[in-house]
Amino acid sequence: MALASVVRDDFSAPFFDAAARGILLLRHSPSSGEWSEPSAVLCAVTQADDLEWREAAGTGAIVSWTVKPGRSRDGETAPDVVLALVETTEGPWLSLWLPDADQARLAVGAPVRIDFVQPNAESEHLPVASLV
Amino acid sequence: MSAAIVGLGITEMGKVYGKTATQFAVEAITLAAQDAGIALSEIDGLLVNPGVKNDTDLRLQSVLRMQNTRLLATIQGFGSSAGQMVQQAAMAIDAGMADVVVCVYADAPLTEGKRSSDAYPGQARAMVGVSSLAPAAGLRAAPERYALAARRHMDAYGTTSEQLGAVAVAARQWAVMNPHAQMREPITLEDHQASRVIADPLRLLDCCLVSNGAVAVIVTSAERAATLQQPPVHVWGWGQSHPGYTNHRDSDFGLVTGAKRSGADALRMAGVGVSDVDVREIYDCFTYTTLVTLEDYGFCEKGEGGALVESGALAPGGSLPTNTGGGELSGYYMWGMTPLSEAVIQARGQGGERQVDKHDVVLVSGNGGVLDFHSTLVLSPHRKG
Repeated sequence: MALASVVRDDFSAPFFDAAARGILLLRHSPSSGEWSEPSAVLCAVTQADDLEWREAAGTGAIVSWTVKPGRSRDGETAPDVVLALVETTEGPWLSLWLPDADQARLAVGAPVRIDFVQPNAESEHLPVASLV
Repeated sequence: MSAAIVGLGITEMGKVYGKTATQFAVEAITLAAQDAGIALSEIDGLLVNPGVKNDTDLRLQSVLRMQNTRLLATIQGFGSSAGQMVQQAAMAIDAGMADVVVCVYADAPLTEGKRSSDAYPGQARAMVGVSSLAPAAGLRAAPERYALAARRHMDAYGTTSEQLGAVAVAARQWAVMNPHAQMREPITLEDHQASRVIADPLRLLDCCLVSNGAVAVIVTSAERAATLQQPPVHVWGWGQSHPGYTNHRDSDFGLVTGAKRSGADALRMAGVGVSDVDVREIYDCFTYTTLVTLEDYGFCEKGEGGALVESGALAPGGSLPTNTGGGELSGYYMWGMTPLSEAVIQARGQGGERQVDKHDVVLVSGNGGVLDFHSTLVLSPHRKG
């Protein structure tokens, strides 16, 4: 499991409530109609301060990716970790782990689906991507 | 504007243990003052840039026993800090706010017996809220973040790992001739290609060093500079550009950096064009950074950085001598003080066997964050006409 534990704060509570139900929330500005990434406090396009949580499609495409080779320790080699910058269908970029990705299929523009994984009982559910 | 760099102090670099960042800073400042022929008591401005460990700051003033301080600040622009400090020093001198300003970077992240990667505390942080999603996913250290940038450039323009390797090989060719450099064994493109992958597409030899040490420069007026013992290095122009990538559709992340705007501003202020630049000292945290910065400064068209570096232009004897001390890849990692220190040496004509013959205009870049922060300086041994 490459994912580390994350706990919620007041700001992120709606995001993680939705994540536990398998739904991706992004920030949306009613005045501009533009979407921003989950941590945004001002609109990525207009700097408007009217952002609110809104349900996103949970789909996107790879902008860029990297593979961190698994390290060998005590005779065992950890699996490679595939990380991607994903442009959601709504526009904001997310940095996501792709568990079990077929590295031969990694490509800029490759479509992905965003799902959620709970790394352990103490952590919130976290978004991950898979090639579709 | 008529300020000049008149003193340079470089401590022992690299795996040098048993000193704090503050002790390294005092040593570098003392060396810079001796180099300039200026008494410590004459320094009335101090700008301090702490590095990775962030364990020195403006309280360095009292350690230095300075009692005549008229300009004092901790500057934190990450890799763009060195350029920013010189810019602020030059403006303070021009405004009559201070007469002799020392700018220092100091860091001691390496501990004896521990790996370089242990110097970075990124993974121990508590993960709270949505701003932790990227580090929780595994995007924690600089190599994987720059790997995403480099991959994007490769996809857009066809840049290759071998071309990145050419940057590493050229830097090492220069470092072989630099007594301050940490890595002085020649390397080949094959060595680069055989080095282990850190974060694909970046290999070990695409990554900079980690160093303990400090570098200080002293800035004063051009008039005073003319009376001192070292050849003055005049500050002709500068710029900053912090692109504020939006993490959103249409972002230029990985494709265009702050060097584009920062470089254009600095060259315009200096009254020269990119073709007038004789020596390039480029912030090279990764090989890719050198390549994309050269493009954004205009040494080639956008997307042609790969072909440029592959041509051998950057190496000793090439048409565009670049990172003539080995840079951060092979020289030493003192953030923006790495390119700035070598720029001062080259502008003075004190580069020994690595000295570039024509060194009338020297361009210096600083890059911080993940291409988030950028500064540029244009330096010259000649007073601006």
